[in-house]
Amino acid sequence: MPKVEILCPDGTNAEVVGSTGMTLMEAIRASGVDELLALCGGGLSCGTCHVYVLDPTKLAALPPMDIEEQELLESFSNFSERSRLSCQLDFASVPDGLRLELASAD
Amino acid sequence: MIADIATMYASFDHVNPPIGADGTPYQHYCAMIAAAQASGQQVGWSNNHGGFWLVTGYPECVDVMRSPHLFSNAEPTLPRYATNEAIMIAGQDDPDHKFARALVNRPFNPAGVMIYSDVVRDNLHLLIDGIIEDGRADLAQVIAKPVPAMVTALLMGVPAEEGPKFSHWISCVSEGQDVTDENASADIAEMYRYFEATIERHRTNPGEDILSRVIHANVDGRTFTQAELLGFCVTLMIGGIDNSYRLISAILWRLSWDGALRRRLIDEPDLIPGAIEEALRYYSPAFTVRQVIQDSEFHGARMRGGDIVLIGNPLANRDPRVFPDPDCFIVDRKPNNHLGLGQGIHRCLGAHLIALEAKIVVKEFLDRIPDFALDETIGAQWIGGQVAGMEHVPVKFPPGHPRTNAQGGQVGGVQAWLENVRAQ
Repeated sequence: MPKVEILCPDGTNAEVVGSTGMTLMEAIRASGVDELLALCGGGLSCGTCHVYVLDPTKLAALPPMDIEEQELLESFSNFSERSRLSCQLDFASVPDGLRLELASAD
Repeated sequence: MIADIATMYASFDHVNPPIGADGTPYQHYCAMIAAAQASGQQVGWSNNHGGFWLVTGYPECVDVMRSPHLFSNAEPTLPRYATNEAIMIAGQDDPDHKFARALVNRPFNPAGVMIYSDVVRDNLHLLIDGIIEDGRADLAQVIAKPVPAMVTALLMGVPAEEGPKFSHWISCVSEGQDVTDENASADIAEMYRYFEATIERHRTNPGEDILSRVIHANVDGRTFTQAELLGFCVTLMIGGIDNSYRLISAILWRLSWDGALRRRLIDEPDLIPGAIEEALRYYSPAFTVRQVIQDSEFHGARMRGGDIVLIGNPLANRDPRVFPDPDCFIVDRKPNNHLGLGQGIHRCLGAHLIALEAKIVVKEFLDRIPDFALDETIGAQWIGGQVAGMEHVPVKFPPGHPRTNAQGGQVGGVQAWLENVRAQ
């Protein structure tokens, strides 16, 4: 499994531990990071599992966004070029050493 | 206290709750939450409607909604809505639910719903033009219900003039609980004939509406059956109107007697989105329902497979473990992770649309009629049910003038609604 770390709004770092079959969002929540709300449970409708990918090379290594993910992200004022919805990424296939930051509430 | 809470659970009835001095059941709900907290019993058995588990605590409600492997959506209403077909999306489990929802997610995302902004605004002003000279109006019937109903007509690609009919059918399906009632049955049969004709029309002549999109959807050779399409019509009709209607009614009712809140939103309109979120917490319209998949112990309750579970969103949203000062309406409450639109895979599909409609109504209504007060001689009227709220919000205000530069909007729909209200 890849080693993934997430920076929370309170400044603390959390290690994300997951298993095969989980989305990145599910792994983050299963690791106790409740601040990642993921209100719609991965349904691609709320945008509350929004994360920033801190390392540009790792960002480029992720599978590209589809149009639905892009549209949803772009509707938020805190969208950036490093934005992804963690519910759309398969945990086991994200690059090792991925570092993320939780997007603040829009 | 423990005995009290068991008795309170046993008699709990969301369809006919005790109404307090403020005209809502919240006094009763809050007493229930206090007793649940004191006893530590967040889940209890009610003997009403054939018997069901009521979940009152916030973390416990979240637990139900986040556990689709334990709780099915096969029975999504209590008492059961009078429909012939399964209610699509709300009444489905994954993978069928995921398949159906994925097809309609995009038009309901924040960008997708923005296309309705202008028509909502124009319709609202036309409705206000129709009442402003009267100096009195029932805001539930003349504003809160027509606004989402006319958007729903657009979602389904049907004339907005037919909105009042939809409203009647929703009552038959959700309130005319007795399916053996001959009048309700005849009306429901008429509703299905109407949906069949609409589906047929969209098959041969599809529009830009969401129903047409669903009718013509073909994903890897999979299409929807006629029964599924009828179920979709019911979902769009009820989902499009009921929650928005009750939310907007509640906000307008609150503003009719809470002058301080009204003045604050007029002076600081940037607070309106937060006020809408707080209204979704404070006056959550919807209870949601699940069915236990297999025997299990859940937060101290010994549930059996097949049992019905009522998720008490309106109660959980007053849980003091999560919301400080839960019984204060705080427009800029943060965080405000309320359950007003649910959580998990069945979170309200129309969440962004409801917020859009409510924000436009509050902002524009206060612009046109900043000074209005509840007509105490008539009084507001709450109606219970799975989706509950204010059925009548009679208000008085200084009469004004219709606009002379009105343009846009679903003019025929507005006329139909105004006539419908006058005929009541």
